[in-house]
Amino acid sequence: MYIIKNALRCISRAKSRNILIGVIVFIIAVSSCIGLSIRQAAESAKEETLNSMSVTATISFDRSSAMKDFTPTEKPEQGGEGGFDRNSFKEMMGKASSLSLDEYLKYAQAHSVEDFYYSLTVYANGDDSFEPVSNDSTEQTQNGSMENMPKGMSSGKAGRIFGQDSDFTLVGYSSETAMTSFADGTASVTDGVVFSEGTENFDCIISEELAAYNDLAVGDTVNLVNPNNEEEIYTLAVVGIYIDSSANESSFSPFGSTSTDPANSIYLSYNALNSIVTSSEETNTSEDDSETAALSGNLEGTYVFADVDSYEKFEEQVRDLGLDESYTVTSSDITAFENSLTPLNTLSKTAGYFLIVILLIGAVILVVLNIFNVRERKYEIGVLTAIGMKKGKVALQFLTEIFVVTLAAIILGAGIGAVSSVPVTNALLANQIESTNTRAEQTEQNFGRGPNLMEDGTNGKAPTAPDSKGGGMGGFMDMFNPESENNYVTEISSATNLTVILQMLGIGILLTLIAGAASMLFVMRYEPLKILANRD
Amino acid sequence: MSVLELKDICFSYDKTPVLKDISFEFEKGKMYCIVGKSGAGKTTLLSILSGLAAPTSGAILYNGEDIKKIDKYDFRSKYIGVIFQSFNLLTKFTALENVMLSMDIAGVKGKDKKSKAMQLLESVGLDEDEANRRILKLSGGQQQRVAIARSLSYNPDIILADEPTGNLDSETQNEIMEIFKNLAKNGKCVIIVSHSPDVAEVCDVKYELKKISGKKK
Repeated sequence: MYIIKNALRCISRAKSRNILIGVIVFIIAVSSCIGLSIRQAAESAKEETLNSMSVTATISFDRSSAMKDFTPTEKPEQGGEGGFDRNSFKEMMGKASSLSLDEYLKYAQAHSVEDFYYSLTVYANGDDSFEPVSNDSTEQTQNGSMENMPKGMSSGKAGRIFGQDSDFTLVGYSSETAMTSFADGTASVTDGVVFSEGTENFDCIISEELAAYNDLAVGDTVNLVNPNNEEEIYTLAVVGIYIDSSANESSFSPFGSTSTDPANSIYLSYNALNSIVTSSEETNTSEDDSETAALSGNLEGTYVFADVDSYEKFEEQVRDLGLDESYTVTSSDITAFENSLTPLNTLSKTAGYFLIVILLIGAVILVVLNIFNVRERKYEIGVLTAIGMKKGKVALQFLTEIFVVTLAAIILGAGIGAVSSVPVTNALLANQIESTNTRAEQTEQNFGRGPNLMEDGTNGKAPTAPDSKGGGMGGFMDMFNPESENNYVTEISSATNLTVILQMLGIGILLTLIAGAASMLFVMRYEPLKILANRD
Repeated sequence: MSVLELKDICFSYDKTPVLKDISFEFEKGKMYCIVGKSGAGKTTLLSILSGLAAPTSGAILYNGEDIKKIDKYDFRSKYIGVIFQSFNLLTKFTALENVMLSMDIAGVKGKDKKSKAMQLLESVGLDEDEANRRILKLSGGQQQRVAIARSLSYNPDIILADEPTGNLDSETQNEIMEIFKNLAKNGKCVIIVSHSPDVAEVCDVKYELKKISGKKK
């Protein structure tokens, strides 16, 4: 007890020395608190969002893995038929490109899956009375290159598969849950009603823009034509008209087809669209399946998980259920989320390095100061040990002094750091985002796309056309700018929490021990007789 | 019975013999003076007596027990009170704090430590105002008194003083010697190391150190 009393007395009697040590520790504490808070903010943002996020995932064919596994035949000079076997590759890709509905449903049985829905996408043309929403540049592109060709016939099967030159995108949903844009409120029916869930009736809803373009209203019908077989026509009844606010952002590419314009999307039930595809297959049956002109659809299943942990378990579970290694489980939610944290994570990493440097420099300064301190107080050590105070207790007293000063400075520094950490972090984060965007902008400019698209200072994001319902260039830009759709975490609301406080305390103890260890070594080395004899 | 006994103490510094076969005995209630010329080894002997240095050979018995068996810090803080020539007080502390710290180190228990310390300081001639002054604000004589009070703070049997009057005027010197006499009267064993014949005169027993030897007179 007297050691503590003596330590406090010594601190009060040597103010200037202890204030100097305190100021250094205070600076270390403020810097450390901000650094730790930034790291904690990044962690918290990640954890909180991940915990509250409903994750969706899809199973898709792993093309890059397939390419790695695909072994080209030997070259002629090596006795083989030569180079890359395109036919084998096509065969492999054809067989494995998409899972069937039964397979999707089988994997939906995995324990971690909370919900499952699916959609079928088919590309089709309209007849003469039903035209897609289009803009001038698109017309010119299409007319210029394809004026003598029937609509939808310009690229044969490619058109059927990718919808490159089709008029409309037909999406058949398995349930209302699958209609995510309606569920999350980005789209809504403004007239009529949505088709009944699971109905096999050819009921559809069309965009407001498409309805206005073709002077259509609820109760009217539209005719859709197989791009590969003009005689194959399907009539859909318009039961509702919708507006999709996300269409303002996801724009149209002048180099794609009109079908990729969100305004030209027609929604109906999966059962209805599937019966169209089935009917088309029956109509276009030929001996050679590979040359069929039937409508083909792209089935995509979406698995919903309660949390990230469930998502992470899912892959293992579907492998157990028999999913081939050539398929991969991906979550666009997770990817988008991770991208959104990029600036904060970069800042967190920088803060980590900064923290290490600050602590190293701080520790060195404290050690040096304490060595000077002990040398300066050599006589005091000599007197204390001469009158019978054990060296260990003298060292403990010195350690207590350092600890008290360090703790006080750490508490003060942590307080100031906690108060300033949020504005400082947000300011640094803003700089980081600006820097990230500037790099993205620079990249765009390097590809020759920047000046035309970024005059309005949108930091690399493609501007959306005023009449974005009719398309724009954002979609095209996004192909080359994977981050353009990222909603970066731009600010944090709190940063310093109990973890940071405990870490600060840990830093205080660590600095005390490092600085104290140096002084303890000196104390233990000193012999009172020599000190006092030299002084005499 | 001797409270402290030196048996054939030898001490060498860098292979140079400083003390050889010193055998002294000290009893309670007496004042001893160790005299000798410069280089005779007075300070070395004092260091050995106070446990700050260990003899090269020989034994020191405290109440018949070899002090090697006693923790040297305990010996210094509980059994022997040392008054150094240059006082060796903590200059940033007050006189009272110096005395109280010594009591704390010795493990003196009780809530009235402060009043005991104050009494000790008063007994050596310091008032309350002087007791609460920092050491550097006290005169040499006052510092000497604080050093004496400190050495008495844990009530040791032996008081060891190194040149206690060396830096003092004759009046103060007399006052200090009077304090030592009283201590001896009260049953303490007072050992003074000095080269002053005046100090030796007032002591009950005088030991003279000569180079490499010591003998009782």
